[in-house]
Amino acid sequence: MPDYLIFLSMVGLFALLAMLFKIPIGLSLALSAVAGSILGGHGIALRHLIEGSFGYFDTILIIFCAMIFMKGLEASGILDGITSSLLTTFHRRKAGLLLTLMFLLMFPGMITGSSTAAVLSTGALVAPVLLKLGMSRVRTAALIAMGAILGMIAPPVNILVMIMGAGVDMPYIGLTLPLLILTIPLAVLFSLILGYRHIHTVGAEELRSILPSSPRRTQGLRTAVPPLLVFGWLLGQAAFPRLIPDIGIPAVFLLGSLGCLVCGGKFNPFKVTQDAVRDSMPILAILAGVGMFIQIMTLTGGRGWTVMSFLSLPPALLYLGIAVSMPLFGAVSAYGSASILGVPFILALISKNAVFTSSALSAVASLGDLMPPTALAGMFAAQVVGEPNYFKVLKLCLLPALMLLAAGIGLMLLAGPLDKII
Amino acid sequence: MNRHTILKAANALLLAGVLSVTWFAGRAFHRMHVNDPIYPAPGLTEKILLSRYHSALRSGPADTEIYLFSGKEKGGRLLVLGGTHPNEPAGFLAAVLMVENLQVEKGDVWIIPRANRSGFTHNDPQEASPQRFVLTTAKGDRSFRFGSRLTNPVHQWPDPILHINPAGQVLSGSDSRNLNRAYPGKKEGVLTERTAFAIMELIRTEGIDLALDLHEAAPEYPVINAMVFHENSAELAAVALMDLQLQNMDFRLEESPPSLRGLSHREWGDHSEAASILLESANVSHGRLKGKTSASLIVEGRDKNYVRAAARGLLFVPFDEAGIPLKERVARHLAAVRSLTAGLGDMHPDREIILHRFPSPELVREKGAEACLAPPNQR
Repeated sequence: MPDYLIFLSMVGLFALLAMLFKIPIGLSLALSAVAGSILGGHGIALRHLIEGSFGYFDTILIIFCAMIFMKGLEASGILDGITSSLLTTFHRRKAGLLLTLMFLLMFPGMITGSSTAAVLSTGALVAPVLLKLGMSRVRTAALIAMGAILGMIAPPVNILVMIMGAGVDMPYIGLTLPLLILTIPLAVLFSLILGYRHIHTVGAEELRSILPSSPRRTQGLRTAVPPLLVFGWLLGQAAFPRLIPDIGIPAVFLLGSLGCLVCGGKFNPFKVTQDAVRDSMPILAILAGVGMFIQIMTLTGGRGWTVMSFLSLPPALLYLGIAVSMPLFGAVSAYGSASILGVPFILALISKNAVFTSSALSAVASLGDLMPPTALAGMFAAQVVGEPNYFKVLKLCLLPALMLLAAGIGLMLLAGPLDKII
Repeated sequence: MNRHTILKAANALLLAGVLSVTWFAGRAFHRMHVNDPIYPAPGLTEKILLSRYHSALRSGPADTEIYLFSGKEKGGRLLVLGGTHPNEPAGFLAAVLMVENLQVEKGDVWIIPRANRSGFTHNDPQEASPQRFVLTTAKGDRSFRFGSRLTNPVHQWPDPILHINPAGQVLSGSDSRNLNRAYPGKKEGVLTERTAFAIMELIRTEGIDLALDLHEAAPEYPVINAMVFHENSAELAAVALMDLQLQNMDFRLEESPPSLRGLSHREWGDHSEAASILLESANVSHGRLKGKTSASLIVEGRDKNYVRAAARGLLFVPFDEAGIPLKERVARHLAAVRSLTAGLGDMHPDREIILHRFPSPELVREKGAEACLAPPNQR
């Protein structure tokens, strides 16, 4: 059977299982991968299925540990304390509040290169503040998702560029300026577009009525220790790598969770862990399923066919191909999109400045974190605010996502002139 | 049977299923940890382990074999590395062919076929690489592992968010497991950095004159069919290139960029007296455009996607339906090693290395690497 037919059969079967039969997405992906393996003449390629599912092992650990941290913040009352502090400081200043929250949202992504880490850490801190000031759940989730995505591509750590750079032997040097040009104006715009008209200022009396009970008042400043520990460690290991050991993002989140146990109100750590497992299981299953799907897609030639199809577009349509294919492939993984499509696209645009091109491509690839079925940023942002339908969040993200896409493609087109100016 | 009992039975069945899958898949992964035999030629002087140069590696997953061939006369000192990236089999196989055939008349030759031994024990997830490829000799099959570009995470984990390599370059975390980003190595570093440190120590303490690192790259990668030289070996590379052109082998000369740190061609030259050169051949099996993956893709090197890509001018090497087979890629490496060694002797007579029974690139090109491989289980 031709490569493309196997691939299209896998996609078709996935759609059928997930949409018509309502089988969980992770399981649908795994079953489609098994079908692809059989159609490709490999039988049930057990080794490939298992190996593929390990492709996102580190991401799975990050999500799992970040979820425990988030649940720990909630259960210990620390989250309420931080919400109180932020509200007390900013309840009269909308623009100041929104810009501060946007920076907070971006920060974990800027130092880890992961939108998931951002949504599940500062996203969880910011959400209650916006909700208390009248923003809807869906809009709050959209703002969190877009902030996390901007953080993922903002300097100093942009893993997507690093992955592409490794593929073309481009050192990670000189990226700060183009990445700032891409992200800072959009960060200001997104926070104002999504937020300004949708939160209201509150007076002192109303503030008192909406403030949650804060353990900070009863237990002192030590409740600030867990979030400071997490963000301090992540920042420290990025800024002073020779002084602060990199123990891995999962371990940092676990440290933060231990901090919640020691510094916050009393809670049952086993129950919190169980809750975290229950809540994160669907997305973890999707990631394992996606890994299997890609492995079988590669084994049976579907990946190569997809990449070649986009690279074969006439030059005039190349940018359109980039704009469509990278976010689409990012639906399975933004990092995968950077590696599989980003590297050939940089090579196809080799006459342009690779620093600008890779920065721009990273912006386009990052949108994969808003693409279903994984849509990591959108799905977790929905979870953080308690919104059951993450598609509503994605719908609201459409305009800012198109703006980010336009900024990325624009930077790519202007790479030549900018190279001469900067 | 009540609902509770049915649920328990279903759970037990599910658990049994998971255990069976784990067992069968685990066996396939575990088999990758067994080294394929290499049958050294009678001219072998000594087989040593890399831990001789850094005791921290002793008996660990990176403690790889070094094959030393010493001539009767003193002369130049050559180091050949294969398997820095175990998913680039032409370099590994060229080194194996040298170990299985070589006799040295003058000078000393160190050969490390599995430079990143740990990388041979796994495959990259989502690349769907075959675990092995087979070459058929006159007296039976020889099977070789096709590994990963990186050290096995079972041996070095977790990856940091950012990796600052021993030469100070900032890289993505997974590159902390890339041997060819880890030079000059770090004595107390992570496993890959320790491996790089040991190789660097070998180069320094043995006074290596010429150090060669054999690689492969995807045809869409610009540095391909190339000889990447440190500025200390520019003249030698040029001399060898002329010799290779006389053999109808065209190589691209690329000077090692000073801004790209941690790679063998840069750091070996900066931190030792060795002339440092990295060789690249074109391998479709780890390209991003490859079609169906299989062992024959590695050996035959034929792929219709790459034919299309060549027609659209997306590649940096000529590519047609005949593909670029393993025998061609191994032959290129062997020819380059031969020409560079000869060039060293021409330029510096005191560093001359005389090699007998060198695996013939011409024979390999015509009949395949199997023509020069030792038969299995013969010695």
